[in-house]
Amino acid sequence: MSTAVNETSAGKEPLIVSFCCNWCSYAGGDLAGTSRMSYPANVKVIRVPCSGRINPMFILRAFQRGADGVLVAGCHPGDCHYSTGNYHGRRRLSAFKRLVEFAGFEPERFEVRWISSSEGDKFAEEMTAMTNKIKALGPNRKMRDARWQKIT
Amino acid sequence: MAENNVENLKKIREAVSQDLLGGRIDLLLGWEKGHYWWQSRPLFARTEEDLEKLTWDSFCAINLSRYLLDELKDFQKVGVLVKGCDARAFNRLLQDNMVVRDRVTLYGLPCPGMLDYDRLAEVAEAAPEGIIEQNGKVTIKTADGEKSADRDDLLADKCRDCIYPDPVVYDQLLLSPVGKKEAPEKFTAIEKLEEMSAEERYSYWEKELSRCLRCYACRQACPFCSCRECFVEQQNPRWQGRAYQASENFMFHLVRAYHGAGRCIDCGECERACPVDIPLQELNRKLTKDINQLYGDYEAGLDAELEPPLLTYRPDDPAAFSEK
Repeated sequence: MSTAVNETSAGKEPLIVSFCCNWCSYAGGDLAGTSRMSYPANVKVIRVPCSGRINPMFILRAFQRGADGVLVAGCHPGDCHYSTGNYHGRRRLSAFKRLVEFAGFEPERFEVRWISSSEGDKFAEEMTAMTNKIKALGPNRKMRDARWQKIT
Repeated sequence: MAENNVENLKKIREAVSQDLLGGRIDLLLGWEKGHYWWQSRPLFARTEEDLEKLTWDSFCAINLSRYLLDELKDFQKVGVLVKGCDARAFNRLLQDNMVVRDRVTLYGLPCPGMLDYDRLAEVAEAAPEGIIEQNGKVTIKTADGEKSADRDDLLADKCRDCIYPDPVVYDQLLLSPVGKKEAPEKFTAIEKLEEMSAEERYSYWEKELSRCLRCYACRQACPFCSCRECFVEQQNPRWQGRAYQASENFMFHLVRAYHGAGRCIDCGECERACPVDIPLQELNRKLTKDINQLYGDYEAGLDAELEPPLLTYRPDDPAAFSEK
């Protein structure tokens, strides 16, 4: 998987890693697909059990190995399959977002969105918006691990 | 502290030797003089002879509570001398279930703030050879003569911003309390960094972190870094690469700071332990500042009963991202 990530980012197209919660956002992505809505292929979805499962190291690792943007998508607050996972996630990711911005990342590089399983249209919209924002920003060089860069 | 230093030390030694020799504690964690006169290192006292080495002077900056993690494995009952920051560190460990309250005896030592050798040398403009303290003044002796300065100007960085010099938890208070100090502007440096552009901030951190030796002294000294297995040593997944490059430096420092989110007691041990002067407190305080702003004021280590902000939630919490 790491190689694939690297090759995409070495090209001109940005790479966006999206962590989607199994119960809402991943299903939202499925709905977008079955409804034939299109969203950019720059987004690579990684399914996680819950937005509360996100370890901040996932996000940093993504940046290290070639992501230009990271989007975490989870159930709307109050709708968590595990009742409280996204409430905890909201606090943790809020603190983490401020920290990565403090470390020098542009605020657009890391985002969190709530997308329910019935919001296929929102899923497609958010993925398009994120891709456009990252395209405008250009490739991410911060925290990039030089050993994972493709030599061209 | 200096003028009644001898008396204070006598009081401390009396109290702890009663307990140690009487068998109420098996080990006492205190300080003894190190290789240089401006160093006080941890003392692990088990006998009367050990206790003779005990010292209490202006260089006992090392936080002793952290040593409980190791010592409680070997000793049933441990006594610890605690300053303000050590006591808050103890609360931190207690909250993390890393120590057992009943097995620890805390001897409270209200702390006037510790001095820093580098500050002494800076003020004296020569290598200090000794100090004499009197009424809030410090006379620094050097080869060229003597120089006098206010004690407050010579404090170590970690003591300059301290507002709780008196222990917040103890079994016996051995000296008279110093009283709460005024709250300093501890977020000024952070606000300054926040005003910079993202690029400037990244270069700032890239430069600061480039000095990192990955000695993990900051982690070893820290009361919130109490995991038995740290992420940097995990083999699978191997989160922390061994290479010396910016990417790995950021990985370590961001995650280290993040693991203290809402838990950092602001004791400044990480920065004191750092051999290359990385401003680690700026990362810690940034998190404290944001969490206080978003989820209400919370001071870690003051009360072991209060739940840390990242272990709880409210349904109507605000978020730092545009999504509600």
